[in-house]
Amino acid sequence: MASPLPGYHGCLLRIYLSTGVSEQVALDETLLRSTIGGSGLGVELLLREGAAETDPLSPDASIAFVFSPLVGSPLTTSAKFAVVSKSPLTGRINDSLASSGFALAGKKTGHDAIVLTGRAPRLSILVIDEGVVRLESAERYRGLSTRETERRLRENLGSEFQTATVGPAGERQVLFATISHDGRHAGRGGSGAVLGSKNIKAIAVRGTVRPHWAEPAALVELARKFSEKSFGPATAKYRELGTASNLLTFNRLHVLPTRNFQQGSFAGAEAISPEQISVARERTRSSCMACTIGCEHLYGLQNGTGSVRLEYENLFALGPLCGIDDPEVILAASRLCDDLGLDTISAGGTIAFAMECVERGLLDEPWLKFGDGASLLQSLDSIATGDGLGQLLAQGSRRMAHAIGHDSIDFAPQVKGLEIPGYDPRGLQTMALGFAVGSRGADHNRSGAYEVDFSTAVDRCNVGPESAHLAVETEDKAALMDSLILCKFLRGVFTDFFAESAEILRLVTGWDVTGNELRETAGRIVTNKKRFNIRAGWTPDEDTLPPRMLRQALPDDPRAALSKESLGGLIRAYNLARGWSADGWI
Amino acid sequence: MQVVVELFGIARARAGVGQTTAVGDCLGDVLADLAARFPPLAESCIAGRTLRSGFLANLGGKRFVTAPDTPLADGDTVLLLPLDAGG
Repeated sequence: MASPLPGYHGCLLRIYLSTGVSEQVALDETLLRSTIGGSGLGVELLLREGAAETDPLSPDASIAFVFSPLVGSPLTTSAKFAVVSKSPLTGRINDSLASSGFALAGKKTGHDAIVLTGRAPRLSILVIDEGVVRLESAERYRGLSTRETERRLRENLGSEFQTATVGPAGERQVLFATISHDGRHAGRGGSGAVLGSKNIKAIAVRGTVRPHWAEPAALVELARKFSEKSFGPATAKYRELGTASNLLTFNRLHVLPTRNFQQGSFAGAEAISPEQISVARERTRSSCMACTIGCEHLYGLQNGTGSVRLEYENLFALGPLCGIDDPEVILAASRLCDDLGLDTISAGGTIAFAMECVERGLLDEPWLKFGDGASLLQSLDSIATGDGLGQLLAQGSRRMAHAIGHDSIDFAPQVKGLEIPGYDPRGLQTMALGFAVGSRGADHNRSGAYEVDFSTAVDRCNVGPESAHLAVETEDKAALMDSLILCKFLRGVFTDFFAESAEILRLVTGWDVTGNELRETAGRIVTNKKRFNIRAGWTPDEDTLPPRMLRQALPDDPRAALSKESLGGLIRAYNLARGWSADGWI
Repeated sequence: MQVVVELFGIARARAGVGQTTAVGDCLGDVLADLAARFPPLAESCIAGRTLRSGFLANLGGKRFVTAPDTPLADGDTVLLLPLDAGG
């Protein structure tokens, strides 16, 4: 029976993995309108599950795969879903988003979300065939790469099934393991470890149930206009060069994290830039399901073993951060992370941290050196196998620092346990604020505060508290995009983001929603994430940056300096702008 | 005044060079000079004496500027880069 609520099915599917029992649970309109979908709905569901107070790797923990009202609509970039759980890496909220046919097929099972609890008795494939749920043995897939698991599942189940899988890293519960599908990853925060802890190697979904739209003709027309705009100059960078083209810009501005954030520029940057890599390698373009932007740029490996998606984040993390200037090594390392199911930012950050520990004599692993490609590849393998140093690396840089001691936490490149993406916060200080207060830790996808730094609104090396409201604005926009869900690379095509988002949602759902309502909704979603974290044990002292970054300027740009006091002023201004207490309590 | 211009991302791709020189007393003059010499760059990045939406200029890697009347000194370095940093 069709849902009475356009854009939604009005229910979630809860699956008890320990028994294989499942049930449909109704989702009322008030809840859906106040949280929309994706991250917003997922965080609220997790709060109601009591997930904040639960060990994320225990059978009692919940993990939610959440769709949105826009999934399945003709709007470009809308084939997305959110994976929401408590992060085993940070102990705080984690919402990872990804695009693929899994979102389309998952929603067509007839549910707005799929919530898993319990633990399957043995390694299993969870098959959701419209309304029918079953667990199959995954023994024959044990240890397989994400790519090979997906290939065999399609072969065995049929190509109409869409899958989300964990690689060897997820099976071993590496704390920064990903969930992979179509070569894309719900990447950050270790959602792959949560799925692995539930003995689920993969989820396969298939269905035929489609919700209806409130105003289908007008929605198609609006979608056509957005698609047209998505071919315009606002997305030219992504389409023509890919995100990796950030590398030379960041290097020139001395904000390219190099050798575990010890420098902001890298001598080998030109050699590993996409402009240079593409000279000697075949380059092809691809796009996520239902996307007209096509930001993915794949580069052929010179040994002929295939091609690799190269994004700025894997380029920086497996390149300059580890001192690597050999493009072939970076491509091979990226491919390895894809296959093992590892978050490239956390993998690169943790290995770079270990390299500095070796350099400082804190870790007796002389083979592990900055600039040594073989040691990078060996480290990645060891993380997935658990051999040797891999046991420690698999815990991420914060736990590793606690194990090593000697104040190494001082230079562990993380916030709340999540490794810092490729933006040196000392030279991008609005982003520094975004990293420090981020609900899932240092994160460039939940706060787009770097946009403020890349503008005439602030001096990026001397940002004052007056910029806090600009950071709030970027975070609110991200929260809304992650709940609708739309790709952030589309943000440049909006003229009035909240008003146009309201129009999209009105045509899908029929609600008389306004831009102001969506602003309030976005703020509420951010506050809900904070609520989750407070229940999970958050305290104000974790909203900070690694101590070294608050003590030492970037050597290649002395203006790029932060202090505990200056960051504290930004954080207080941010908290007040959010309507929280000055130290961040809600 | 002669200034050094460094180009990044789409600006570099359109101009076909990573670095060049240009003349002008202010940012608008320099952009007009570049537009005259690199038509594909003008088509994507420069409208008359201003930058098109989505692009920024930066002086010496330190200060982002967009105003055409921003004064320049002989030997200054102007970076032309895409506004959007995400990825």
